[in-house]
Amino acid sequence: QDFTFKLHHFLGAKAPAQTQMLEPWARQVEENSDGRVKIEIYPSMTLGGRPPELIQQARDGVVDLVWTVNGYTPGLFPRTEVFELPTVFKNDPVAANLAMFDMFEDDLKEEYQGVEVMFLHVHAGQGLHMRNTEVRTPADLDGKKLRIPTRTGAWAIEALGASPVAMPVPELPPALQKGVVDGAMIPWEIIPPLKIHEQTEYQIEGHDKERFGSTSFQVSMNADRWNGLPDDIQQAFRDASGRDWWGKVGEVWRGTDNFGIELAVKSGNTHITLTEEETQAFRDALAPVVDRWIEDVSAKGIDGDDLVEKARDLIADNTGAM
Amino acid sequence: MNSRPGLAGAAARLITLWALLGGVLLLVVVIVNVVSVIGGVVWKPFPGDFELTEIGVAVAAFAFLPYCELIGGNVTADIFTARAGPRLIAFFKFLASLMALIFACILLWRMYHGLLNQKDYNYTTAILQIPLWWGFVPILISLALLAVAAGLSLRDSLHSFAEAKHA
Amino acid sequence: MIDSLSLGIGSLVVLVLLIAIRIPIAYAMIFVGGVGIAIVNGSDLLFNQLKTLAYGQFSIYDLSVVPMFILMGSLASRAGLSAALFRWANAWLGWLRGGTAMAAIAGCAGFGAVCGSSLATASTMGRVALPELRRYRYSGALATGSLAAGGVLGILIPPSVVLIIYAIIVEANVVTMFAAAMLPGLLAVVLFLLTIAVYVAIWPDAAPRHGGVDRQEFRAATIGVLPVLLIFGIVLGGIYAGFYNPTPAAAVGVALVWAYGALSRELSFGDLIDALKETASTTGMIYLILLGAELMKIYMSRIGLPQATAEWIIATGMSPMLVMALLLLGLIFLGCLMDSLSMILLVIPFFWPVLVDLNGGLYMTAEGSGFGMSTEDLKIWFGILALVVVELGLITPPVGMNVFVISALAKDTPMIETFKGVIPFFAAEIIRVLLLLSFPILVLWVPRLLSG
Ligand code: NA
Ligand code: NA
Repeated sequence: QDFTFKLHHFLGAKAPAQTQMLEPWARQVEENSDGRVKIEIYPSMTLGGRPPELIQQARDGVVDLVWTVNGYTPGLFPRTEVFELPTVFKNDPVAANLAMFDMFEDDLKEEYQGVEVMFLHVHAGQGLHMRNTEVRTPADLDGKKLRIPTRTGAWAIEALGASPVAMPVPELPPALQKGVVDGAMIPWEIIPPLKIHEQTEYQIEGHDKERFGSTSFQVSMNADRWNGLPDDIQQAFRDASGRDWWGKVGEVWRGTDNFGIELAVKSGNTHITLTEEETQAFRDALAPVVDRWIEDVSAKGIDGDDLVEKARDLIADNTGAM
Repeated sequence: MNSRPGLAGAAARLITLWALLGGVLLLVVVIVNVVSVIGGVVWKPFPGDFELTEIGVAVAAFAFLPYCELIGGNVTADIFTARAGPRLIAFFKFLASLMALIFACILLWRMYHGLLNQKDYNYTTAILQIPLWWGFVPILISLALLAVAAGLSLRDSLHSFAEAKHA
Repeated sequence: MIDSLSLGIGSLVVLVLLIAIRIPIAYAMIFVGGVGIAIVNGSDLLFNQLKTLAYGQFSIYDLSVVPMFILMGSLASRAGLSAALFRWANAWLGWLRGGTAMAAIAGCAGFGAVCGSSLATASTMGRVALPELRRYRYSGALATGSLAAGGVLGILIPPSVVLIIYAIIVEANVVTMFAAAMLPGLLAVVLFLLTIAVYVAIWPDAAPRHGGVDRQEFRAATIGVLPVLLIFGIVLGGIYAGFYNPTPAAAVGVALVWAYGALSRELSFGDLIDALKETASTTGMIYLILLGAELMKIYMSRIGLPQATAEWIIATGMSPMLVMALLLLGLIFLGCLMDSLSMILLVIPFFWPVLVDLNGGLYMTAEGSGFGMSTEDLKIWFGILALVVVELGLITPPVGMNVFVISALAKDTPMIETFKGVIPFFAAEIIRVLLLLSFPILVLWVPRLLSG
């Protein structure tokens, strides 16, 4: 091979993120380049450091490519964060990914300094996992302790009258089992690897799979490495990372999410889908989170109003696109 | 440490004091965690305990490094060279101190650039939004003191080498 | 280009050479890992990674429990907990032949439940129990041998620094690992007590019989230990009950031990300063080793050594149990030369993936697996086995740190006597390893009980 790339990420080699997203993408790039490119995937932080360092490793060229969670470095990707907000991200990862693609050049690209973005995506959305509380209204969450997913996820939990609790993901199952937390906001896709269904009774989401926000991710290359590549190699990457691919990634995450909730239901958990009226009560309670975010980013000179409006419009336009 | 007179003695005392400050920081982390546990029982847990623990323990651990070097606290395997003469042992100590000195200087230089990155890109913690570069400031002081401590061991090893020669 | 296996072996030879000429193990790893990365991938890459690598390692949340347990142990050594424990154990066991040595073992076990390190346990209990053992004219070999061996309980009985590091490397739950260590830890105590009983039956002169304590002392000693038991209950009970995770638990432990020392007037301000200094040197040492091990891991990953080793072992066609047995033997051998933490950090990242492959993959269930158990169970079982064998290194010559510590306290006993005194306990440990190898349920039972 003429060009070898090291792709570094934080999950295990058997995680669907690697087997269903990163590997197919890497093989597509290799194929597009007629075998001149080779992408070696290093899972589980085997090239050193902790997950929050991934983005810096890409910027510094310590590795060539990373897949990382934007929220590991809060404040670095404020614009993309709009796609994590409850009531902006609702229920469709495909539509959200396509909307990110459409907004990328004009609205998001500037915050990805030192890297060349291959693709961005969200997961299928934060669902509510509860130990033994059947939740139908925000009032049911009053005073409950919930593990936070992201910075804005903490705000969402506060807006619902619950207490946000920070803890590493591996601590979650025992914390749920023993009641250190009463629940968590995370996607269904986490259920199988952490066996969340064994520690909880209820999985709750809004009408038509509506969730309480999402988390954004990126696959990016070191900028110098990218700029040094010949046009045809760049094209091999570009062709593997087009608009269709961003949408396809949404389908992959929808699929692993469905698998998670099916497992929970099969093991006897109660999967609550709120009615449209009940969902509206949550939307009303969560509306201040969007305002808080707009105020927060305006301090950085970002027009949050405009981003929220564009993201909502584009998500609506792309809903049901695939 | 008391054996070191003058400037070297003052440096050794400073390094010890710095480690004790790190210890006090560790006690502060202990208190934050205890308060959070009690808060979780009587009212609600303090959501920032997690990130304060991470930063506090990291800063404290860096503050411990110079003291550890000063008192020769890093594990060595002495068995292979148990029969070596004092000059050879002084020479090994010289090599080890030199390695520590180079390491301290490189890490000081690199983590200074790390600090600049943290500042430029505005890295913060998730909940309390504490800028991470704040933590790097005491860490750089710790690394400078580590270089000083390695310098002291280097000086000691040269002394022992000279003494062994006369003996 | 040289293949990864030879490059890796060459680097390990350099590492051992550096360690042999008294370069601290941490700096030897930093040097080999750092220079290795710079040669293979260029110094720019290394220098860029060094901007955040150390901070990233030092700020791992799961590691924060390590300095806290060290501080708790340092305070406990000075707050009179060890004396209360030994006094109680001696009141209950002292009337037996060899009873005071048994009390030293029991005291070590009790102290091990608050302290995460073997050396601290050996030296703390040594200071308390050695004068008593000499007063009752126990032989030097038995007295120092029991204490050097008993010190190992400091790490076998949770909390345990080595176990925390293991859990982080293999991504296991720390509490599960602590739970798994409970029964094997108790088994060690029982076997050590039996060892003393057999020893004094064969050599009665080693432990002259002496009378038991009077009723008043018996009551006072028993009441005196209650606060200590309460501290254990709150700290460890809280962890196992899932009331809090290990870091806040250790923080609560520090606060309780501090309060105990303040109330019993055992812990002066000077003691607090000394405890902080001891915590500083131990923590600094451990964290520097962690950084060195991380650099070694990166270098090894970059030259592809873990995969090459795994492919090589699997290609030899050895059975999983044979690989496990050879691995444990290798660890016992390495333990003669290296400290337990460095060993765990160097060896586990390599061999854990090999064991996973031999078992049939990360998500393997018991059915059809190489070791006859799910990979989740293998993670727990192997962790405890590795912990036991790396700790054996503390009492084996030539570098037996526990023996050194006790010898330094017992100036009238030659070190060779202590090594002789340790031999029966070493035999007991080998029996225990064989039991744990043959009956994995001894390890897996408590974690299963706790997870319902
Ligand atoms: Na222990
Ligand atoms: Na040894």
